[in-house]
Amino acid sequence: MTLGYLVRRLLAVILVLIVVTFAVFAITMILPGNAAVMILGEYGTDEAVAALERRLGLDKSWYIQYFSWVKGILSGDFGQSLRLSLPVADVVGDAFLNSASLAGIALISVTIIAIPLGVLAAINRGTVADLVIGVFSYIGASMPEFVTATLLLLFLAGPALGLLPAGGFVALTESVGGFASHVILPATTLGLILTAHISRQVRSEMSEVLSSDYIRAARLKGLRERRVIRRHALPNSLAPAVAVISLDVGYLLGGIIVVEEIFAWPGLGRLLIYALENRDLPVIQAITLLLATVYALSNLISDIIIAILDPRVRYA
Amino acid sequence: MFIFNILRRNVLLCMALALALPTFVAAQSNGGTLKISHSTRIATLNPLSLSGPAEYPVIDMAYSGLTRIGPDSQPMPDLAKSWEGSPDATEFTFHLREGVTFHDGTPATSSDVVATYEAILNPDIPSSALSVLNMIDSVEAVDDLTVKFTLSSPFADFPTSTAHANARIISEEALSGDLTKLDTVVNGTGPFKMESYDSARVTRLVRNDNYFSEGKPYLDAVEMHLFPDLAAETTNFLSGDIDVMLLVQQADYARISSTSGINALRVPSGRYVNVVMRFDQPPFDNLKVREALAYAIDRQLLVDLVLEGLGRPGHDNILSPEFKFRIDTPKKNYDPAKAKALLAEAGYPDGISLDLVASNRPAIRAQVAIAIKQMALPAGFDIKVETMPHDTYIANVWKKGNFYMAYWGMQPTEDATFNLLLTSNASYEDTGWKNAKFDELVNAGRSTTIEAERAAAYSEAQELMLKELPYIIPFYEDVLTASKDHVKGYSINPINRYFYLENVWLEKE
Amino acid sequence: MPKAFRTAAGFTGIVLLSLVMTAAFFGPFMAPYDPQAFHPASRLEGPSFAHFLGTDQFGRDLLSRLLHGAPSTIFFGLGSTCIGVGVGSVIGVIAGTAGGWIDSVIMRVLDGLLAVPELLFTLLIVTFLGGGMGQAMLAVAVAFTPGMARIARSSVLSIRTREYVLAAIARGEPSHYVVLREVLPNAVGPIIVESSIRVAFAIMIGATLGFLGLGAQPPSTEWGLMVAEARQFMFRNAWTVAVPGVAIALAAMGFNLFGDALRDSLDPRQSQ
Repeated sequence: MTLGYLVRRLLAVILVLIVVTFAVFAITMILPGNAAVMILGEYGTDEAVAALERRLGLDKSWYIQYFSWVKGILSGDFGQSLRLSLPVADVVGDAFLNSASLAGIALISVTIIAIPLGVLAAINRGTVADLVIGVFSYIGASMPEFVTATLLLLFLAGPALGLLPAGGFVALTESVGGFASHVILPATTLGLILTAHISRQVRSEMSEVLSSDYIRAARLKGLRERRVIRRHALPNSLAPAVAVISLDVGYLLGGIIVVEEIFAWPGLGRLLIYALENRDLPVIQAITLLLATVYALSNLISDIIIAILDPRVRYA
Repeated sequence: MFIFNILRRNVLLCMALALALPTFVAAQSNGGTLKISHSTRIATLNPLSLSGPAEYPVIDMAYSGLTRIGPDSQPMPDLAKSWEGSPDATEFTFHLREGVTFHDGTPATSSDVVATYEAILNPDIPSSALSVLNMIDSVEAVDDLTVKFTLSSPFADFPTSTAHANARIISEEALSGDLTKLDTVVNGTGPFKMESYDSARVTRLVRNDNYFSEGKPYLDAVEMHLFPDLAAETTNFLSGDIDVMLLVQQADYARISSTSGINALRVPSGRYVNVVMRFDQPPFDNLKVREALAYAIDRQLLVDLVLEGLGRPGHDNILSPEFKFRIDTPKKNYDPAKAKALLAEAGYPDGISLDLVASNRPAIRAQVAIAIKQMALPAGFDIKVETMPHDTYIANVWKKGNFYMAYWGMQPTEDATFNLLLTSNASYEDTGWKNAKFDELVNAGRSTTIEAERAAAYSEAQELMLKELPYIIPFYEDVLTASKDHVKGYSINPINRYFYLENVWLEKE
Repeated sequence: MPKAFRTAAGFTGIVLLSLVMTAAFFGPFMAPYDPQAFHPASRLEGPSFAHFLGTDQFGRDLLSRLLHGAPSTIFFGLGSTCIGVGVGSVIGVIAGTAGGWIDSVIMRVLDGLLAVPELLFTLLIVTFLGGGMGQAMLAVAVAFTPGMARIARSSVLSIRTREYVLAAIARGEPSHYVVLREVLPNAVGPIIVESSIRVAFAIMIGATLGFLGLGAQPPSTEWGLMVAEARQFMFRNAWTVAVPGVAIALAAMGFNLFGDALRDSLDPRQSQ
């Protein structure tokens, strides 16, 4: 875990981001339509579309467009949304905060729930509790978010029970209760698969550690079971859990797209879908850049955490 | 004599009370915020070029046009208090109201009107109203409150054109500056002015205290809330505090209208889906093939399945029954045998394979396409439905393709309807049907103000259209909206561009 | 039967998988009705004698549509995974056996591609290729390739140092022999395990793309698309949404359970 290693990793991340944004850009150029066409729709005469393209800067050749975008980024200017006529930084920034709060809540609640679940399952391996947790994990891991979301909406937010709002968003600054009631369903949807993955991983690692010589020795020493688990088994099982959590950040970044769309949560996912539909290139670029950076950084951070937690890796 | 006077006085008193009573009962209360939910983004506030269903209410609230289409589908005064046209319908003069100011306080005068129309007519500025205003030769400000239009050809419906939802009056100052500001900055003469605009969530407008219609608007503020997911929007409307749901989906209408406390509105409209069949390419260059398809479609079934019964079957007349000059249209019943025979006559005794393109926006195109595919099967039509993203459709298929689904809202006049799509030089002409006789008839209809002559011209035009069958128009879709019971005065125009929110008030509990 | 499959989990996996694969192969032939035919008189009904799983908004039989859509949904998952696994494995094996700068370059590129979250990657590719099952399958395959390449590579790396491989090299066998006869057969295990779990994931992504309108297009009977189209009728006939949704979950679960059981049976550490 040297400084050199970190620097190399960061450089690799930057290289990747450049390649990704360029690829996104190149692909959009191949598309038949563009933002101007989407804005005017069927009311766009050829002249009107051409005029709008000029205004939006879409008539310039692709490399000019790309390089002016890169130049802008380097000076902190992410450009104007083609569709919304607002600065991309504002639009994406707001959306990012909303997504981050949703993802953050999902991740935190999952970690609080999933790790104990996994531990429970490992300790009670082979019993009914283990089976129940196992079944729940499999079901959770097999349902795509849109299925979970739809079923949750159907049962909890539908006219029959009407327990929770069927989507929408209330800012935390406006009302804590409102924010909470609107965040429950989307966070649960996101959390289901995560809980399944993480608890299974913890269970499998814990089981392995529990049957290892190291633990057997601790038990032979006469230590109480609880102390054995807390002080000896748990720390060694957590490293893979952290690895899974970081992998799941990647899943979260994908899952958030569908969940936000279904629950009308004004985050990056929903914005991305909107931008893709409307060929709003600067917004697509900014979001892709942001998500790829978050993912790369989270991988890096989890690698560091694993190294700290698990001495075996540190000296590898 | 004396008694008679007393009686008469009492009668008069009673009459006065009787007249006052309804007004007393119906007296609206001022104040409150109206919350409207919608499912498509308000992407721009530029009145010249916007076209989103949720954007129209916003500019209907914030801007005024010279005229405006009223609930009876006739032009009514808006910024112009009166107008007159020359007998040959080539010159129109509009008289503006006095003392009207923009939201920023600057006076609204004829120079703003002139600037607006010049922008609309400017080919370099995208404007959706151009297609109904392209007969304007010149527009001049006679004095501060009078505007004169000179047309290059007679057009009797000109005051309807000036009511076009994208022909709202913008200040000269805004038009001489950076036009991109129009996308986000609103400065109009309408009953409400913009307070905050967040296209991702809520757009809020507040009362314009200087609105030219005395006493209106009644509301303090209007908020537009975005719910991109229709299921979430519906559920939220039913159980939350949204007052009006702008557009209701057919699938939800029954559920919403049967919920207590909710007033679901269904307005018959001339909105239609049309099947475009290209005239200058096989196989639709053969009239019999077009007719065959027309008989291979069960129109009532389409209304039942796709519209959930919330519409009326159409029989290929582009004008719906609401239009004044519409003729009685003969019904085409679902007759696969006849369709098959017609195909055989056209040279396809074993049926025909076709690709039908449907863009993914709105979803109704694909639904109708799928239904048509099934219904036309027994007649020998083997139709493959191809869906595609909307911009690909616009770039590659629209106005070029052989066979595709189009979708149009209702236009205010017969002339606008015909000139939108069917005349040879229509802006969005997409079937290749260039019929000189039809053009002549449409022209004749617009050039005179004599009703009988217009009726004759338009009748003949419709008969020609029905005979040649450029489009199959299987139904007219109703406009569906809903409001809570405490919302009073809310109505919607079948053209779906005018919302009269200055008439809405909220009943206090 | 391998021990791992005798557990409840393994057994359930096999049962589900058999159901799902039967549907995938024979579904269209088993459907009682034409999946596209309208029965307008009985639209949006729940299960009945005539329609075992109910009908949708056009009156189309849900059971028939489900069976008809099984191949699209399942073979989408299998096909995209196979392509991703095939191409990825080749790349990974090349990297693992060649070593040196070839390996380094390939690893850097893979790391780069892996930096993009999978669904996002798929979404971008599919948007730009245009919607459609073929394009979606390609997109998912491309998104899977880097991950599979990595697994193949590490599998090869760990085997490369095994005695039997070293022995073969010492014997003087040509390198392609070593790769094909010694390395690959033993590297295949982890690849297969990962693949079966990936199929579950591919099915879910395919369904998600169908749901977003970027995968299968109407009137296809792909299950994700069925859920998307049924959402507006959710409260009038919950079966329209529940039937395809549960089917997707069962299919994914089958592959997940099977893959896990496979992994347990191949991994000596887990035998308890």
